Amino acid sequence: MNRRLFLSTLASASLLRAVGETILIKNAKILTVTKGRVDGSLLIRDGKIAEIGASVMAPAGAVTIDAAGGFLMPGIVDCHAHVGADAINEGTISVSSMVRIEDVLAPDDIQIYRGLAAGVTTSNVLHGSANTIGGQCSVVKMRWGKPATQMVFSGAKPGIKFALGENVKRSGSNTNFGATLRYPATRMGVEDVVREAFNDARAYQRQRDEYQTRAGKGERVAPPRRDFKLEPLVEVLEGKRLVHAHCYRSDEILMLLRAAEEFGFKIRTLQHGLEAYKVAKEIAKHGAGVSTFADSWSYKIEAYDAIPYNAALCMKAGVLTSLNTDAPVTQQRHLLQDAAKTQRYGQLTDDEALSLVTINPAKQLMIEDRVGSLEVGKDADIVLTDKHPLSLYTKVQKVFIDGEVYFDREQDVRERSLRAARRKALAEKLKPAAPPAQKKGAR
Amino acid sequence: MRRVLWCFGLVAACALAQPAGSGVLAIRGARIHTVSGPVLASGNVVLRNGLIEAVGANVAIPPEAFVIDGAGLQVYPGLIDSLSTWGLPAAPGRPTGAPNPAPTPVTPAVLEQRIQTLDDGGPEERPSNTSWVRAADLLDPKLPTLAAARNAGYTTAIGFPGTNVFAGQGSAYNVAGSRARQMVIEDGVGQMITLPVRGFGGGFPGSLIGIISYVRQIYADAEHYKAVQALYEKDPRGLPRPPYDRALDGVIASRRLLLPAGRLAEIDRMLRFGQELKQPLVLYGGTEAFRGAALLAAAKVPMLINLRWPEAERDADPFVKESLRVLETRDLAPTGPAELAKAGVKFAFYSGGVERPADLRKAIKKAVDAGLSKEDALKALTLYPAQIFGIDNRLGSLEAGKIANLTVIDGDLFDDRAKLKFTIIDGVKYEPTPEATPESNR
Amino acid sequence: MNRLITLAVLAAASLAHAENFALRGVTIHPVSAVEIPNAVLVVTGDRITDFGPKAAIPKGHKVVEAKGLHVYPGMIDSASVLGLSEIGSVRETQDIAELGDFNPQLRTMIAVNPGSEHIPVSRANGITSSVVVPSGGFIGGQASIMHLDGWTWEEMAVSPSAAMQMRLPSQEATVTGRALGTGRRPYAEVKRRYEEQMQQVRLFFEAARAYQARKANPVLGFKPDLRLEAMIPVLEGKTPLMIVAPKERAIRDALAFAEREKVKVILAGVREVDPFLEELGRKKIPVILPDLYQVPLEEDASIDEPLDIPAKLAKAGIPFAFGSYNIERPRNLPFQAGNAVGNGLSHDAAIRALTLGAAEIWGVADRLGSIDKGKFADFILTDGDPLEPKTQIRQMWILGKPVSLENRHTKLYEQYKKRL
Repeated sequence: MNRRLFLSTLASASLLRAVGETILIKNAKILTVTKGRVDGSLLIRDGKIAEIGASVMAPAGAVTIDAAGGFLMPGIVDCHAHVGADAINEGTISVSSMVRIEDVLAPDDIQIYRGLAAGVTTSNVLHGSANTIGGQCSVVKMRWGKPATQMVFSGAKPGIKFALGENVKRSGSNTNFGATLRYPATRMGVEDVVREAFNDARAYQRQRDEYQTRAGKGERVAPPRRDFKLEPLVEVLEGKRLVHAHCYRSDEILMLLRAAEEFGFKIRTLQHGLEAYKVAKEIAKHGAGVSTFADSWSYKIEAYDAIPYNAALCMKAGVLTSLNTDAPVTQQRHLLQDAAKTQRYGQLTDDEALSLVTINPAKQLMIEDRVGSLEVGKDADIVLTDKHPLSLYTKVQKVFIDGEVYFDREQDVRERSLRAARRKALAEKLKPAAPPAQKKGAR
Repeated sequence: MRRVLWCFGLVAACALAQPAGSGVLAIRGARIHTVSGPVLASGNVVLRNGLIEAVGANVAIPPEAFVIDGAGLQVYPGLIDSLSTWGLPAAPGRPTGAPNPAPTPVTPAVLEQRIQTLDDGGPEERPSNTSWVRAADLLDPKLPTLAAARNAGYTTAIGFPGTNVFAGQGSAYNVAGSRARQMVIEDGVGQMITLPVRGFGGGFPGSLIGIISYVRQIYADAEHYKAVQALYEKDPRGLPRPPYDRALDGVIASRRLLLPAGRLAEIDRMLRFGQELKQPLVLYGGTEAFRGAALLAAAKVPMLINLRWPEAERDADPFVKESLRVLETRDLAPTGPAELAKAGVKFAFYSGGVERPADLRKAIKKAVDAGLSKEDALKALTLYPAQIFGIDNRLGSLEAGKIANLTVIDGDLFDDRAKLKFTIIDGVKYEPTPEATPESNR
Repeated sequence: MNRLITLAVLAAASLAHAENFALRGVTIHPVSAVEIPNAVLVVTGDRITDFGPKAAIPKGHKVVEAKGLHVYPGMIDSASVLGLSEIGSVRETQDIAELGDFNPQLRTMIAVNPGSEHIPVSRANGITSSVVVPSGGFIGGQASIMHLDGWTWEEMAVSPSAAMQMRLPSQEATVTGRALGTGRRPYAEVKRRYEEQMQQVRLFFEAARAYQARKANPVLGFKPDLRLEAMIPVLEGKTPLMIVAPKERAIRDALAFAEREKVKVILAGVREVDPFLEELGRKKIPVILPDLYQVPLEEDASIDEPLDIPAKLAKAGIPFAFGSYNIERPRNLPFQAGNAVGNGLSHDAAIRALTLGAAEIWGVADRLGSIDKGKFADFILTDGDPLEPKTQIRQMWILGKPVSLENRHTKLYEQYKKRL
């Protein structure tokens, strides 16, 4: 397929280099996140990181980019975003596991470009939080300008969104803009919905197995109906699908861990998990990760005990911890700044702070063999900044995904006036001939 | 001349009480656009018993024929509206596939009562599914939209019922006749999927993401239904009785699937979804067809183009600056058909959000002005829709044996000033009714 | 270094009551002048009485060694709802917007809850004062400048009536509802309603003027009108109108309205500022920045919007200050200023807008905003640049009194750290 077809008006064709180009970025301070800092060069070959070192020879034909003393860091991974999708809420039912973000990916969403411009190269695009068991999520690379199929992070393990607490309960209250009442309206009900759903999933699993056995024996038996609601839950039971659960309070966190344990599966991440610090021990023991906000709090009752030290405390308890945006709730362009805030609230080291938005979320999504740090063999998802990425005075200069430049600040700045002029000219050209009487009244 | 016309006026009047098109008509010496063959600078058409008997430069006109002098007239195959509601009872909130589908929330009150009463589904819950309803069964010959369609030069519509996700089966019918059953050409030409996004309050599915998953489940259920029925029909003994499920029956009976797609991202999405469902596919909408031509060509999927081109909001805030994307789409949308033609994609026009059929020619002219050849534009109104819906053995071109549907213009169809002279539908001549001409409507 | 800090912390903590003291060995950033390394800062009572490399420490003043640390004036949040709101989703905790279109008589000061958890949380990052702004109807009431320390609102109040909050009728045809998404009203309808409402606003100002005249020459039986009375300082040009105007048309309307009514104006929340840079600079009309943690205003906006607004204002010579607007944001004010620096604003200008610049806009520069003799002893002690998250705020003084940086979050942190 012709990729240029998909270039929306903001991406420009000249920005995208051919896949497989060999690029040497030299004169850089390389923050690998996992293996310390290297001052030198980084070589990209076939979309992968081929070499990192104090001095790397440029192979014949390589394009050389002078980082001019700037910093290289791994592409940022946002473990919780609602970008690049045309719909994220099937809010009518408590178990909406049949819906798939992948069905509605919107590669023309400007939020992708904005996230990319802030160094975000991978996002876990999640369903909304109105349902106890929400929809299937989609891990995407922020390949702005490419079609939906090429946004998908190939090889990433599938996931599903759960949600607990106020958002789910609100759907059960009659204050919600005339919506019909919907179970559950309490945290007790929320647990019940989870348990009922997995009870159903187990029964479905058995039914399927039974059919296989009987059909295998040549019995004349009707096949069971495929149930797209229960299939993903069976995958959860079989450990083939990761659970990312929106939650706030410590009680509901504990409830979910125990409910999962009852049915023999793991919660992969507690999303937001603002009170995770209160049950960090239990979370660590279960093996769940926490993906939290930097400093959001008090916007609702269940966020009143949220503290900006959550990430630091969870990390200290041995919980795999990351920071997320819930974009557009908070913005991907502030994700680095969010990481930096853990240095004020909890005094994390640079590597610890950076790991919250790189290798840790990559681990949570089980894609750490591909992204999340600058290591030889990993995808060349790389961010070039002018100053240290944890300083607020820093600007992202270039962003590479698989060795292709997807964002270039210089070019963005250059194109602003061109785009403005084009917009003005088009608006003039397409000006509707308004009826004269009305035009008068408009001033 | 006047006498001849008067005679045919009588025939038309008689036709109201008779089976369509008995008798013989001929048009002599007109410019004839056969569409399937070359344009005849001056030729004759002979119609008998509602069918085309002969078309050609020198075909003989039988002595018993009522003859129309075609000097100065241009004869076209009857125009087809490829996705229509003409002749169907009004359905509030009926999606038009209009550009940037209006973000207004569809409340339960908006959902049409008529559809709701039909919507009792099968044994499984089948919300928003009236797959078995056929437009042919809802057709009402008395509705004024039919006369308006004829006045705009149309002879045939592919009508689709309803506003549900599974909106029902489209039917091809002529836009004139005294009885619905005589108007219908083909009762089931395809299932239309619409996207009635109702938000949280209206029941599942309430969102785009929910609707897609729901359609997927219904098709899986239909496969399962077929499998279970086949097993049961072979030998019912010892097996549970498969349920009667007309919602699935309707899906299974559908010859092709119509999915809505405006933006490029939607075209891409719906092409993949159609492939996944393994259904013969037609997309409708096409706002960004100018961006999606190559995709459609690669998938060999036809596109129905909504003739309501994206336009500035009426009564919009003069201070609101529209985005570059919106402006570009508005600027380029009418180039879509030309791009499709260039890429070899089959496409047809439909009335969509154009409220007055009389405005359709103007809308088509926009596409022609944007680079679409008149030949391709004509095909998109005649032969292509007939081919897309599998009725091209009866309609879409002027060939002997096809249904006698003709559109006759006092000049070029794509010339704004040229007036519709008359249409012939099932061999019966209909002159524009004066009260509904575009001029008098102003 | 660490030992020194500990010393400083201990020393400060021992100052249980306002006690005369001097900080020694600090780098002072007076804002009104260039930084002074290795200096002494002398506080007597609630005022700064002396500072400099060789400032003499009066006898009886306690000496606090704080070598290597930095002193900055306390930061001012110029558009805050601190104390008027506790939990966003709980209506019962909101005291921001009163019913009715014209409420100039309302005073935010008296509704500020001194016990709000948000106050110490905001202090922790260096905010010592906030301009608490109401927002209901067209005239929401009087904005009050409050110190972020005090047992009562009376003790907290710095200036009860710093500005009259106003929002002109909207002409936006696009309305965004949380439940129903974006919808549009026909512009003709919007416009008609706007004209009606503008007429009401003008009539209200006319009524206030008429009242002002009546009051000047009262007849027998003259009865004060609390609403109109509250407008007199505005009409006299003593209290500025703080008009919230994010978009181009609203800004234009606000400027025209202030011109017509001949009142002083402060613009707040401006986003589409480009067409007005020259005019605002020429007229020195102050601007309170919008919350900078917002997504770009429209699809075509630059990826830097609105973070790039402060630099534009500075370049145009427009006085400006930072505002939080949202109950969660005050503590992020220094970080928003840091973002502004990242987007082209000079570091000095950023610090100034958080301190002296704000004090000047609010007419309290005689007491707040810089390290100068005679000013309130409102300042912070940091181990570095207060705009960078990595920096720690070590100490805070308000009115010469050490103020605890402990808050709901540090307490929960300490409490649950023990459970790990």
